[in-house]
Amino acid sequence: MDLKRNLLLLTIIYGIIGILPLFFGSTQFIMHILIICLIWSVVASCWDLIMGFAGIFSFGQVAFFVIGSYASAIISAKFSVPPIFSVFLAGIVAGALGILVGLPCLKLKGAYIALVTFAVHMILEPILKGDIGRAIGTGGSRGILTIEPMNIFGYTFSSSQLVPYFYLMFILAIICSLIILMVIKSHWGNAFLALKDAEVFATCLGVSAFKYKLMVFALTSFLTGLIGGFYAHYVGMISTRMLGTDLFVTLMIMLVIGGIGKFPGAIIGSFITISINEMLSPLGSYRPIILGAMVIILVLMMPDGIIGLIQKIFPGRNREEARTIS
Amino acid sequence: MLEIKNITKKFGALTAVNNLSFNVQKGDVFGIAGPNGAGKSTLYNLITGLYPFEGSIRFNGQELRGMLPHRIAKLGIARTFQIPQTFPSLTVEAGIGIGNYFGSQDGFDSSYVDQILKFVNLDKKRNHKTGQLNLLDKKMLMIGAALATKPKILMLDEPMAGSNSKEIISLMDLIKRINQDMGIAIIIIEHFMKVLTELTRKLLIIQTGTEICCGDPVEVTSNPKVIECYLGSSGDGQITTSENSNSEIHIGEKNAEKNLTGSNHAGGK
Repeated sequence: MDLKRNLLLLTIIYGIIGILPLFFGSTQFIMHILIICLIWSVVASCWDLIMGFAGIFSFGQVAFFVIGSYASAIISAKFSVPPIFSVFLAGIVAGALGILVGLPCLKLKGAYIALVTFAVHMILEPILKGDIGRAIGTGGSRGILTIEPMNIFGYTFSSSQLVPYFYLMFILAIICSLIILMVIKSHWGNAFLALKDAEVFATCLGVSAFKYKLMVFALTSFLTGLIGGFYAHYVGMISTRMLGTDLFVTLMIMLVIGGIGKFPGAIIGSFITISINEMLSPLGSYRPIILGAMVIILVLMMPDGIIGLIQKIFPGRNREEARTIS
Repeated sequence: MLEIKNITKKFGALTAVNNLSFNVQKGDVFGIAGPNGAGKSTLYNLITGLYPFEGSIRFNGQELRGMLPHRIAKLGIARTFQIPQTFPSLTVEAGIGIGNYFGSQDGFDSSYVDQILKFVNLDKKRNHKTGQLNLLDKKMLMIGAALATKPKILMLDEPMAGSNSKEIISLMDLIKRINQDMGIAIIIIEHFMKVLTELTRKLLIIQTGTEICCGDPVEVTSNPKVIECYLGSSGDGQITTSENSNSEIHIGEKNAEKNLTGSNHAGGK
């Protein structure tokens, strides 16, 4: 999809999302769901950038989100840093750890990267719950229960009035989406795709696999950590429960529904997944079974997700050219 | 320009390249031939920094040993691969742009990318995804992306493989233009002797990674050692350069079976 079509799609998506508070602004539950959708849309988009575009099977996205949440909560509490800055610092902490995780991964390929990054996910919980975690202020098994809400220029965002929180996250999501789009459509994005498609040929054309793979690790973990920081101040309490497999699997479903490597599919995928998940909540333990069945059906019917379907309905220039060739 | 001195590459017990030495001068067209598994592509992998090696490779006086592939590309050494490598996720224009943006020392120049697109006859397919291209266009794209790095030397790995006679003529014409119009030195690995004798000024024959002989292509192809290398010790065949056949190495019937069984060939690549 070219830049114009991507921008048009993003405008339509965010245009629709942006007017939703006009209809649901007074319903706290729906506003909370919308904020959560925006939060996960960024995390899923970051995961899509590293996995779908750069072809790096990183399974550490939830870990970087949790690192960002804890980092922002601890920085704001321990050093009295205003949340708006601690969120940014949390992104830097997650980005730095992303580089540290990325370095050994550069020597590995495919499933081995997935194993290393998932190992980071797995060891994070005992670290945060253990002595090291308690020493840095994670609160151990209990987690951090009182996190300062977002505060900008003296205005404190309240959990009793979610519309301002929604628009703050809305702006943040737009900024993150534009950053991701700019990267995808730049020479960097082309380098990611070239390395994914034919790494040896790309390196023989001058693309530094080391530099660009590390760059994608740093960028996606930075943005994920930043959003994790926002999440911590929004919900006001965090624990290692986020590291359970539920969230990990839900994020993966978002990617599959939206279309892997089909930005901005992850944004649409996150809204659909969370909405369906909430609608199925009365079904209790049957919910994951039905959600899983839906994913299988969707994968079989739409292997390229929602964006793949949109591209089929509105083929654009590439499809016309394919016809010309045939 | 390119000085290769006593390079050796071993994979465990297998010596893929054994103490090879040769030079390529500015504007040269240098051919490399040898049976399958002779170490030709491995030699390219050593020059482009994909494998470590023993010995020395100098390019314009600079030692390449230990240098990473993307740095070697920026110095002005570009290559193609025997099996066409393209970027299915990218358009033709973006694929060629990769070479110009990342490989050229002069920085990105969209007008140069346009020139290359025209040069390799892909300007009308610039917005096509590379996965949609046919084999010849994929080869053209690979060559175009390599040329976009503004190389001083272009290494082609069996560019004629899988091509019909019309495509071979078109590719030969392109290679001549790259050498004559752009002034780029060419190293070409090829099995088609007609291509090598027509294009190259110097031909190196290797077998099991070792040099058999090196020199004028016509002399080399009539060298008994080369004939033996291709056809076996009792060879009553000869290496010819037929106009009408894609298979340029013609062998006597007696030796065909022997050659096909690989009894004269080196180990796998």
